This record gives sequence, C-alpha cells and structure tokens, in this order.
Amino acid sequence: MHRFVAPLLVIVAGFALPGAASAHPHVWVTMQSELVYAPDGSVTGVHHAWTFDDMFSVFATQGIEAKKKGEFTREELAPLAEVNVTSLKEYDFFTYGKANGKPLEFNEPSSGYYLDFDPKETVLTLHFTLPLKTPVKAKDLTVEVYDREFFVDFSFAEKNPVKLVGAPAQCKAAVLNPQQMDAALAQRLGQLGPDQRDPTLTIGAEYANRIVVKCP
Amino acid sequence: MPVKPAPAEQLLVHVVLVAAVLAGMLLLAGALNDAFAQIGPFGAPRAQAPAAPVGGVLGWIFARQAEFYRALSGSIRAAKSDGTAAWTLFAIAFVYGVFHAAGPGHGKAVISSYLVANEETWKRGVVLSFASALLQALVAVALVAIAAGLLNATAPTMAGAVRWIEIASYSLIILIGARLMWVKGRAFFNTLFTLNKPAAVGAAVTPTHDHSHGGHHHAHASHAHAHDHEHRHCHHGHAHHHGDEASAWGHAHAPEPEELAGPGGWRRGFSAIVAVGLRPCSGAILVLVFALAQGLFWAGVVATFVMGLGTAITVAAIATLAVGAKAWAGRFAHSRAGLGLLAMRGIEVGAAVVILAFGVLLLTGYMVSERMVGI
Repeated sequence: MHRFVAPLLVIVAGFALPGAASAHPHVWVTMQSELVYAPDGSVTGVHHAWTFDDMFSVFATQGIEAKKKGEFTREELAPLAEVNVTSLKEYDFFTYGKANGKPLEFNEPSSGYYLDFDPKETVLTLHFTLPLKTPVKAKDLTVEVYDREFFVDFSFAEKNPVKLVGAPAQCKAAVLNPQQMDAALAQRLGQLGPDQRDPTLTIGAEYANRIVVKCP
Repeated sequence: MPVKPAPAEQLLVHVVLVAAVLAGMLLLAGALNDAFAQIGPFGAPRAQAPAAPVGGVLGWIFARQAEFYRALSGSIRAAKSDGTAAWTLFAIAFVYGVFHAAGPGHGKAVISSYLVANEETWKRGVVLSFASALLQALVAVALVAIAAGLLNATAPTMAGAVRWIEIASYSLIILIGARLMWVKGRAFFNTLFTLNKPAAVGAAVTPTHDHSHGGHHHAHASHAHAHDHEHRHCHHGHAHHHGDEASAWGHAHAPEPEELAGPGGWRRGFSAIVAVGLRPCSGAILVLVFALAQGLFWAGVVATFVMGLGTAITVAAIATLAVGAKAWAGRFAHSRAGLGLLAMRGIEVGAAVVILAFGVLLLTGYMVSERMVGI
C-alpha cells in the first residue's frame, strides 16, 4: 500500500509544513546598534536604531494625523512608537545575547524610545534602549538580533552597524552577517570530529546577525 | 450529523473517527513543533535558536520572492514620474505572485487537499485556484479602498480587520475539513467493514438489490430504511449507474464523482474558494497602501490582480500535481481489489484530516502563515 501512498505524502508534506523557517518576511529592518558602557567598564544595555523598509513604513504610518502631509514629527508618531515597543515585548525585542557565556537578560525599555520619519525615503526609524537587568563586565560579549519565525528580516546597516559607547579602550567590536557566519562555521564544523564539541560554537544561532565584542 | 440509534459497529466507527482526527492533528502538530524548535546538537534552548533559512529549492524561492517584493516599492515610485514604468511594476507583481504561492501558505494546501479528498478533476482544481486568487485580490483591494482610502484607518485598525477575516476564513476551513472527515471517514470504515465481510460485498453490488446501502444493511437490516433515506443523496445513482460495473473492488460506498460535479458539488467548491480566498495576502495590502500613498492607487490595484494571476498559476499547478498523484495512486489501487479501494479512501480521509488540522492550527494561532506585524 505504501508504494502509492508515499508519493502523495511527499507532495502533501512538501507544502503542508509551513515551519518557522519557511515564513517569508514582509518587513525588512536595517539595524544600527550601540553597546552602552558604564564608567566602570560594565555593559549597561543595547541601543537599537531600526530602520524599516519603505513599504512597511508607509503602511505603519497610514491614517496617522500629521500637520504637514507626508511628514511626521516624533510627537505625531509617539503613539505608534508605543505600539511598536509594546508589541516587541512579545518577541523579546528580537534581541539575544551572552556575556562570558551566560545569557543576557534585558529589562523592557522604560522610556526615551521614539520614531523618526524620513520623508524623502518614506522610512521609519525606531530608537530604543534595552537595559541589562544586571550590568556586566564582559570579556566576551555577543548580541544577536533575529526573528525566529522570519517574519522580520534583520540586517546590519552597511555604515556604522555597531558602535561602542564609553567602552574601555581595549574593547573591539565586530559584526558578523549570516552569510559570513555560514562560511566560517562550515569550516570550523568541518574540523570537528563526530562526537567533538566546540563550546564556542552555538549551532542554531549561526544564522543570526551577530555583534561580537572582545575586551581582553 | 445523524443521531440514529447507534449499533456497536456505528459507535466503533465514531470512536475510531475521533481518534483518527486527534492522531492526525497531533502528528501535524508534532511535525510543526519540530520545525519550530530547531534544536541544535548542543541542545540550545528553543528561544535561543533562530530559524535557519531553508536551503535548496525552497530557499531559492524565498530569496527570489523577497527580491521581487522589495522591487515593488521602487517600481511604484518609478511609475509616478514615468508611466511606462507601470509595466515593470506589473511584471514584477506577476513574478512575485508566482513565487509567493510557491512558498508556504495554507491556500494551496487546502485547495489540493480538498481536491484529493473530493475526487475532483484537475480542471476543477484550476477553476478553484483562479477563483480563490481572484477573490483574494478583490478582498485586498476592497479592504484598502474602504479602510485606507475612504476611512483613513490606521495600520492597527486594518490589521484588526484582517484578523477578523482570518478568523472567518480559518473557521470555514475547519468546517470544510470536518465535513469531509465525516463523509470520507464513514466511507473508509464502510469499505473496511465490507472487506471483512465478503458476503456483503456481493450483496452490495447485486444490481437487483433494493438498497443502495449494502455496507450497512447486513449488520442491521432494521435501520436500513433510515439509512437509505439519510444517505440517499450520497449514494444516489450508484445502484443504477454502477451496479453492473461495480466489480469486486466495487465503489459501493463513496460519494460518486458525478455527484460532486453536480450543482451541490459546485456549491461545496464555492465554500473552498471563499475559505481560501477570503484572507487577503499581506503583501498585496502593503503594495496597495503604498500605491495609495504615492497617489497611484490604480497601479496598485492592477498590480494586485496581476499578482493574483501569478499566484493562481502556481496554485493550479500544485493542485494539478496533487490530483495527478492521486489518479496515479488510483491506478495501483484498481489492480488490488478491495485493499486498493480502502487505500484510496484512506488517502481521502488523510486529505480531510490535513484540511481540518490546518484550520485548527491556523485558528488557534499555533501556525501562522502570514502576519500583519505590529512593529
């Protein structure tokens, strides 16, 4: 019986499993992130500036009252910024990280978040800061931004993707994009034996946009 | 659903049906859960693991889809100053539609499963695909024209409207799935019992027999009248049209294809069109709102319909493939007497389970095929 059921199952399975990975985004975000340090050298939080693609930005601003048509002030966009930040809570702000190998825990952004509108490009940029629950002095710090369900496609800006604010002089930040990560990871994986583990590798997060900060 | 005095056999059918529905849903949920979990070899917790972009053909489809989608806004801007650029917009919209439908989404899954469960022809599959895509485009245009164009509604209001449409659409999918489950599940078990009682098969296919409902009458002749009456619609015509050629693997117990192709069949086909076509594509809504803001709503409307055309072509192709696969399975089934028929009924039940499960998972939000993102 399975001889003729099998091909049918294959066909059904082919399109009937819209797993997480197979969603397709309708929102593109270009990121610029800052890691904020306290005078004692500990990281206190992450400041994100997320620029949405033009189509989504126009959709999001649809129906919002503006004094000047086609332009929105921060004040006019304040209610939308609040909606944004509130709904981002549900997705952990798409931000995950580790300091010295331990997961970072973030508080919700208290205030000071806002949206800017660029009337020429018709794009919105959301600014917000995620404070760490407990500031930490980290030799190794990674921050990753991704949507597990891939409805939002994040990528770093080409210019100034990451900035360290008030960090100790010896700290160096680097940004890894998914593609670069892929090649580097493939190489390292190739060097591992079947039962070997490399604790510095975290498979599963290899497709994230990753900020790596080393403070030796 | 008939509430007749239930003999033990009937009760058993009900119990097994319910169990089959649950098992099917759990199976699908489990498969989805795996897809969501993405647990790495180092046991990375689920929340920490991003979705790995799929490689291969599907990955390629996603990449193209994203490319064309992102080109839409640029071409709308271009069309503002240069009328001929509108053609570029329509071309991009068409290709986007083709690729969009090739990606995940419940539309083609429900249509294909519906066709498989209902013994439909590929021609009807094509009609269903185009009709549901047309409806989908119409809903998107109407929604944006009224909500954004006339009422100047905000994005959250529009997303809310989409949510309600979604609920209606998914509920309808559940209804269609449940109905098919019921009809096909019964046909499956009737076949099963007939197989176990070869004598009854003989009775069922005897042209002179006065009941068209052979599968049941052997067990409880006293209910025969009630059954005959109740199922007259389903089995009407069988005894007359197929009595002679019913053969050993006799299609004694399934609704006949010509019954589905009749007026009632089209009415049911309509419910599938509405269930699938009701929910507008998020991409179309964004394109329409963008075009409206650029003062080129008409271009957005044309792009939406062209996009729908592209979607319909892909869905029709996949639906045809599904119908073809079943026909192919049917050829094997024909060569295997009773067991083959049972397998065919099993496939139909499976397809009905898929529809039902899709509806339940979509409605409960366990599975999201599209999202109007609030950020």
